[in-house]
Amino acid sequence: MNVMKFVVGVVGMSALLVGGQPPASAQKMTEQFIPIGQSPGLSGKATVIGKLQSVNTPQKTCVIAGPTGALNVTVTEQTKIWLDRSKLQQPNLKGTFADLRPGATVEVKPEGQQRGVASAAAEWIKVQAASP
Amino acid sequence: MRSREEMVSLVIKRAAVFCLPSVLLAVLGLSGCKTAPPPDPQSQLIAKGRDIFFNETFAGNGRTCGTCHPAENNFTIDPAFIAALPKDNPLFVAEFNPALKENFENPALMREFGLIQENLDGFDDLKNKFVMRGVPHVLGLRTSVASPGGPRTGWSGDGAPGDGSLRSFGVGAVIQHFTKTLNRVPGIDFRLPTEDELDALEAFQLSLGRQQDLVLPLRLKGTVPKRGQAIFLDNSLGKCNLCHVNAGATANFGGGSLGNANFNTGVEDLPDQPARLTTQTVPRDDGFHTPGDGTFNVPPLVEAADSGPFFHNNAIETIEGAVAFYDGDAFNSSPAGLALKQADPRGVGIELDGTQIVAIAAFLRVINTLENIRQSIMLLESSLSVSSPEERKRLLQRAAAETGDSIRVLEGGGLHPDAVAHLRDARRMAEKAVRSVFFNRKHTEAAIRDQKKARAVLVD
Repeated sequence: MNVMKFVVGVVGMSALLVGGQPPASAQKMTEQFIPIGQSPGLSGKATVIGKLQSVNTPQKTCVIAGPTGALNVTVTEQTKIWLDRSKLQQPNLKGTFADLRPGATVEVKPEGQQRGVASAAAEWIKVQAASP
Repeated sequence: MRSREEMVSLVIKRAAVFCLPSVLLAVLGLSGCKTAPPPDPQSQLIAKGRDIFFNETFAGNGRTCGTCHPAENNFTIDPAFIAALPKDNPLFVAEFNPALKENFENPALMREFGLIQENLDGFDDLKNKFVMRGVPHVLGLRTSVASPGGPRTGWSGDGAPGDGSLRSFGVGAVIQHFTKTLNRVPGIDFRLPTEDELDALEAFQLSLGRQQDLVLPLRLKGTVPKRGQAIFLDNSLGKCNLCHVNAGATANFGGGSLGNANFNTGVEDLPDQPARLTTQTVPRDDGFHTPGDGTFNVPPLVEAADSGPFFHNNAIETIEGAVAFYDGDAFNSSPAGLALKQADPRGVGIELDGTQIVAIAAFLRVINTLENIRQSIMLLESSLSVSSPEERKRLLQRAAAETGDSIRVLEGGGLHPDAVAHLRDARRMAEKAVRSVFFNRKHTEAAIRDQKKARAVLVD
């Protein structure tokens, strides 16, 4: 009986721990220093690189003109925004929603491993900094 | 007066006397040389990855992957290894590069505890936002990275940028550890690895150490290690096998393998953590994610006994102490400890007495030694088939170093003195093989025989 109880307990614990397991995640912080288009295993596969078509500040959304069409992006509290200044040979910086300006080149990583979706919340957005 | 014929005959005889041994030696020596078959593409990729791992600085501050993951120290560093390095070793770049003097490393904690500074929660407040972590070895990665939720790398499972894979890990490492300045501008402070280099680095790292998990129980011969294995596998006593299935890095609570999983085991709540006993600032490490959830991923145990100190913060020096951690309050009050308690029919977490702790550690020492013996034999055998003298020397020296580890690990637990004697012979033979020009094959084969004798003492 004790064995049965143990098995049930352990299976329960398994469910508890697995249920509570966050998904595997990349280390977002060094991502800040990787230029647009060079994120290993993501760029060209799970990200969209394109021009910012429009920005809706009140709704915290924007539209990216990507190679396969438009992507509607929602910026959440979890979304990281970085200014990619590597072409200017300057350190990349943490950005804000205000750095999203129409016409800027951006790379967007949608949350999860979505590909080819029309709209998504962004895990991170890299914005190409314009020349001074 | 000798005749001309007698003189000629004498010269020929003398020449034969002097030359014959040389010829025989040459033949013997040459008999040890076999033409190695051309390497297959995977071997070439691994060799390329090895070269990058140990020699490529990525135009940075001089560090390579091998700076923190040296082959001769089980691909990790510890205070004893660090103490033997020259002052100008790039590990100490914060001590001699003014641009990296502040907020890059903490030399005092590096030298005393083998800790490395990491900015896992961002680079916007370098003075206050960092964690201090030990260097995990990179052995057995083929068995320990995979998880159903995606790959897990580094102490908290989220060590790699990009897609989070082992292949991408090198990019994050270069940005964090190889930079010339804290600006971290690609193309100025370092260069990022190319796609080909990432492929090669991944192949090399996956080739290191075990390629598969053990299948426990082993038929161990030592009384105490055998009891330690039984406790390890007992899900109502040691409970070790739940999270370290077959002493590896995967968990299974009865519903199938969870792969490499993350748990909050309360290591951060340990009292008297060595680094925190100093006057240095050591912020709390919140583990996986930003902000962290307090979890860290499960390391493999086969490689543990010779790759301490233990846990992500190098909090415990000995394997006995690491096992004892699970009997303490920090673990049993942690989310993982409480879950174990909840699942236990008697409502207990992990409760072990001193003899049981030592027995589990003895088991871990023996399986570590068996892995070292396996690796040593593989290295010795490989040395017999390579044509390059430098490569042969490298392999033999690695085998001798692994054998040294085996000796230390067994002696440290007072285990199997008879196996230690065989291992000493094996190391001596490997060292003789390094020095010998003509008899390296003979010495290498003797070293392999001694390794096998030692193994036979440990396990059926």
